[in-house]
Amino acid sequence: MSLSYILETIISGILFGGIYALLSAGFSLTWGTMKVLNISHAVFAVLGSYIAYWFFVKGGIDPILSLPLLALILFFVGGIVYRLVIRPVTKAKDVVMASMVATFGVAIVVENVMSYFWRPDPRILKPPYTGTSFFIGEMAISKGPLIGFILAILAIALLYLFLSHTYTGKGVQATWQNPIGAALVGINPERVSLITFGLSIASAGVAGVAMAFVYAFYPSVQTVWTLFVFLVTIVGGVGNILGAAFAGLTVGFIIGVSAAFLPFVWVNVLLFALLLFILLFKPEGLFGT
Amino acid sequence: MQLLMLVVIVFLFAFPFIRPPLFFLTLLFSVFMYVGLTESWNLMGGYTGYVSLGHVTFFAIGAYTTALFLNRFGISPFATAILGGVFAAMVAALVGYPVLRLKGAYFTISTLLLAVVMQLIFMNWEFVGSSTGLWFKLLPVTMETNRLIFYEVMLALATLITLLVRWVEKSKLGAGLIAIREDEDVAKTIGINAPWLKVQAFILGAFFAGIVGGVYGYYMSYIHPDITFNINTSLLILLMAFFGGCKTWAGPLLGAVILSLANQLIVTFIGAEISRILYGLLLIIVIIFMPNGVIEYIKVPQILRKERTP
Repeated sequence: MSLSYILETIISGILFGGIYALLSAGFSLTWGTMKVLNISHAVFAVLGSYIAYWFFVKGGIDPILSLPLLALILFFVGGIVYRLVIRPVTKAKDVVMASMVATFGVAIVVENVMSYFWRPDPRILKPPYTGTSFFIGEMAISKGPLIGFILAILAIALLYLFLSHTYTGKGVQATWQNPIGAALVGINPERVSLITFGLSIASAGVAGVAMAFVYAFYPSVQTVWTLFVFLVTIVGGVGNILGAAFAGLTVGFIIGVSAAFLPFVWVNVLLFALLLFILLFKPEGLFGT
Repeated sequence: MQLLMLVVIVFLFAFPFIRPPLFFLTLLFSVFMYVGLTESWNLMGGYTGYVSLGHVTFFAIGAYTTALFLNRFGISPFATAILGGVFAAMVAALVGYPVLRLKGAYFTISTLLLAVVMQLIFMNWEFVGSSTGLWFKLLPVTMETNRLIFYEVMLALATLITLLVRWVEKSKLGAGLIAIREDEDVAKTIGINAPWLKVQAFILGAFFAGIVGGVYGYYMSYIHPDITFNINTSLLILLMAFFGGCKTWAGPLLGAVILSLANQLIVTFIGAEISRILYGLLLIIVIIFMPNGVIEYIKVPQILRKERTP
């Protein structure tokens, strides 16, 4: 086992980690702010992968070019889900629990609708530029994960800038810090919830495209993606987008290191055992406040 | 009411002897299995409100225990089903204390992880057959007798579990569990040993699920981590309990009977995907519109009757 091989695995682990970070950012946002634990988050990422795939295969539109449109579509999908499922659920006594169980339902429905119409076989998104690698010395870095990683980091930065620097974004933050105060200065809480949830789903869709550059996808893969979302969110601390970003990179690093030394199947066992451990002993997350 | 229940149970026990088509025995076997699983899940999920997605793990451990005993030592699963329950209970005791310190969604996520980690481990563990699964011999009798035996065993098991859960609900343990659901901190201040009661309920539920799993494995004669550890089973159990109403023993019974019948029929005649889409939709509808389950609507006329006869 050469040093360049180990470095290569670690780098690709970190690249994957960046993508997981984006996949989890929106989930962490809705859980931390709206108290909505959206299990169906990852299923909308898979939906994003499929939409980009159809644009590419049927329309010949490059996945990166179709990205803005895709984000818009998923924002509206998020809005619809918010109106139909999330808003009624937020009136429950225990919002986290009720939203969790209800969105389990959403995840099952969306997954099986996808598998009913589009068949459950795995697909890959292969624009011409993802198949190749470039070399640094002896290390080969494949371009698929690299492009996915760059996309993910840009999207997280955009999400963060939106929340901290625009008027609407500040309104979103204000509402979650003090709902009554925000309402008093004229911020509509209903609209803020809708925007928060829509943004979260849109970011999931973009993450789905980034994931599709790296992995094959099929409707039921959402369960695995959900586990990664949990992992990153719990490590990063709930409701913390930058925490999710750092947690994603950390998880990626751990994946990289363990993949260099362990057989592939045990990497996941190790990761989920680690998550269980963090849940039990430090549930506020490693980067939590 | 009790007389009616007795009549129904006696009828169900006698049912196979009128020689119905085998399809009905298969159908009812799965109904009884879900009754047993949902009732045992409800000890934890319903009374204390700790929603576990790890129930399928205990079920699968039961199935694997009996399968291994049969394959390695040739002991009949009907004799070792209890041991399946004991092993499941041991795993529950081991993970129970740490996991039950978590509350709400954190508890649910950690039980989900438990289910996934256990499935991954069984997938890669040579001793338990890893990803090829385990086959074992059927009973040396005809198909009809085979189905009949399993039908009667599972019916007896489901009845026993339901009666025990009903008894627990009315016992001191049940009262303690319900107090934990209503307000755990207050329950602690009035001297309820919450951690110990929760672990008790968790272990008891796992024990029942393990026994049900033990019989199920023998019935299927083939077990595989993808089938026995399937997280959808946990979700189905959860839906059945929520649909029926998880605050009483009668709710999960009702939910399991209605939904497992519906599920089996839809899977058989229409398709598994449609069935899953429907149960996903139903889960959303139940959470939004009837958080106390259908049992609430059935009780209404009784209350009205009581008020009319003072």
